[in-house]
Amino acid sequence: MTTSVPEPALEVHDLTVTYQRKPALWDIDFGIPAGVLAGIVGPNGAGKSTLIKAIMELLPTASGYVRIFGKSLEEVRGRISYVPQRESVDWDFPASALDVVLMGRYRQRGLFRRLNDRDRRIARDCLHQVGMEAFASRQIAQLSGGQQQRVFLARALAQEADLYLMDEPFAGVDASTEEAVLELLTRLRDNGKTILVVHHDLQTAARYFDWMIMLNTRLVAAGPSEQVFTNEMLQETYGGKLTLLQAVGNLAGSKGLPLRE
Amino acid sequence: MLSLKELLHFLSLSEPNIRYVVFGTIMVGIASAVIGNFTFLRKRALVGDAIAHAVLPGICLAFMLQGSRTLWVLLPGAFVSGWLALLSIDWINRNSRLKPDAAIGLVLSVFFGAGVLLLTYIQQTGDGSQSGLKHFLFGQAAAILPGDLWVFGLTGLLLCGLVALFFKEFTLLSFDPDFAQAAGLPVRRLELLLSTLTVLAVVTGIQTVGVVLMAALLITPAAAARFWTDRLGAMVLLGAAFAALASVLGSFVSYQQPNMPTGPWIIVVLSGIAFLSMVFAPRRGGLARLWDKLRHTWKIREENVLKAIYHSGESLGDFTAGMHEEAVQGRRAFNPWQLRLSLWTLQRRGLLQHNASGYRLSGEGLREGARLARIHRLWELYLTEYLRLAPDHVHDDAEAMEHLITPELEAQLEAALGYPQRDPHDRDIPR
Repeated sequence: MTTSVPEPALEVHDLTVTYQRKPALWDIDFGIPAGVLAGIVGPNGAGKSTLIKAIMELLPTASGYVRIFGKSLEEVRGRISYVPQRESVDWDFPASALDVVLMGRYRQRGLFRRLNDRDRRIARDCLHQVGMEAFASRQIAQLSGGQQQRVFLARALAQEADLYLMDEPFAGVDASTEEAVLELLTRLRDNGKTILVVHHDLQTAARYFDWMIMLNTRLVAAGPSEQVFTNEMLQETYGGKLTLLQAVGNLAGSKGLPLRE
Repeated sequence: MLSLKELLHFLSLSEPNIRYVVFGTIMVGIASAVIGNFTFLRKRALVGDAIAHAVLPGICLAFMLQGSRTLWVLLPGAFVSGWLALLSIDWINRNSRLKPDAAIGLVLSVFFGAGVLLLTYIQQTGDGSQSGLKHFLFGQAAAILPGDLWVFGLTGLLLCGLVALFFKEFTLLSFDPDFAQAAGLPVRRLELLLSTLTVLAVVTGIQTVGVVLMAALLITPAAAARFWTDRLGAMVLLGAAFAALASVLGSFVSYQQPNMPTGPWIIVVLSGIAFLSMVFAPRRGGLARLWDKLRHTWKIREENVLKAIYHSGESLGDFTAGMHEEAVQGRRAFNPWQLRLSLWTLQRRGLLQHNASGYRLSGEGLREGARLARIHRLWELYLTEYLRLAPDHVHDDAEAMEHLITPELEAQLEAALGYPQRDPHDRDIPR
């Protein structure tokens, strides 16, 4: 069940992604209107992270295309911010919290150019927005998991984007960070930004998101939360009834055959 | 043996030969250290080693084609084969199911094997000009000529200049390549540049330390510097300084002892610096960590002694009664020497007072003892209420936590439990 959106901020059309030829996502089709806080939910291995990585072209796609604000990614890259999973980097890197947030300014500043006072002001302000200004010069390895997640969000804020794609910003954080992150996302949404979040916790999903994408290697449902977050859809997303789909996928994977000519 | 006069004569650099060797090795060392930071931070140390070994066939082929062993001829050959090795590793990773470590090992051994084969062939043909080619295995800094200095200087400048120019891009690439790519940095091209610079550093370094030891010149300065600083800029400068120092000392040893090779000695000194850093660096070093652990053990023991005295006062309903060592031992068994030491420290910190009737808590000692008992009992209560553990299972855990919980956590704990009066064993929770 997919709600069609007339002028989507993000449109994913017939997207198929394969890992070592084994399909991770099958023919995904959906659109998200501007100004919503949307969540991607689904079981482990459903391809939630794969979906946003494919949208950011960090993974090759087997077929399909993505339109953002009606254009290709390359044309609107400056308006998009991507927040990787916290565990995807080595936090024992010689950098301070402020250094990491400043990385959000690199694109605006461009190659060869040094960061200036304005960049530093923006970075400090972003740290302030996530309640981390007191930790600006702290080595990142000495931050707690929740604080590291906040630093990642501050870096995304420093990019001053219109569309935010976030991979599990609520994973492994303490209760106060969870509240702070939610408040921040809600405020961004109220300012007209569009946010797409990979989320693993069904308990909180309905409360957090006003739009929902339910995924289990294929799209089960996409639309306003109150319409798609139903028992029936949850059953279908988490029920694992599609063993045949999985069997065919495994077959393609084990033979190492391409899925498209 | 070592004499100050000799060292001073060496450092005065009055002999041209010393000058060539010292300046040459310093330039090569600094260039490798600077680029090596990124190799180290990207966890590509093994790739650096593979590239270093893989330049050997390039050197041999260049020699066979040109019949000359000046650097201007050999370095392009080395560069090309180092580069091919890098591409091969990439290609295998992309197009086969071999894991990265297997791909690196495969490329290293195939290229190095081919190099040794060519080297043997050249030596058997008995070409008079080939003598010294085998020095590329372990390096021969003594053979550095004035012309080579130009090569080292130019490549070193080029390398450091490009790293300075792309410093923030290389940093982001090393920390979070996905984010870099998503933000629209030309990640593929930057990676290519960084790899090319690494090959360049390796190629210039092989004359000094040789292909076998080159990876050490690349990685060790960065690894040593990492112990001393949490800032990348400082790490790069410090690594360069370590490399320069090792170059001077290594050159000096081989100057002093004519049969000692310079390159391996540079690596030995560099490894010594890394080892010292590992042991003595503040905070990250081994001694600092050991010291932290010891201090925590002492703190635990002192707090346990204080608690024993507090518990005794609590059961008597009188905190003013004095307590002798044996009485403390009766409450809780301590090693007698350690007990005496702890009692002495507690007294010095003003938590205990001592007179003829024994030890008793001061006002501050009473507050501290109550705090420890409070945290212990709060934690026991927390475990029984929130984790539904049986009351007789929670003591050991609380025994560990009471030494760790900070005032902020304590406040949160009290609030979560609703400011309780009694613990699971129905004892008072002191306030």
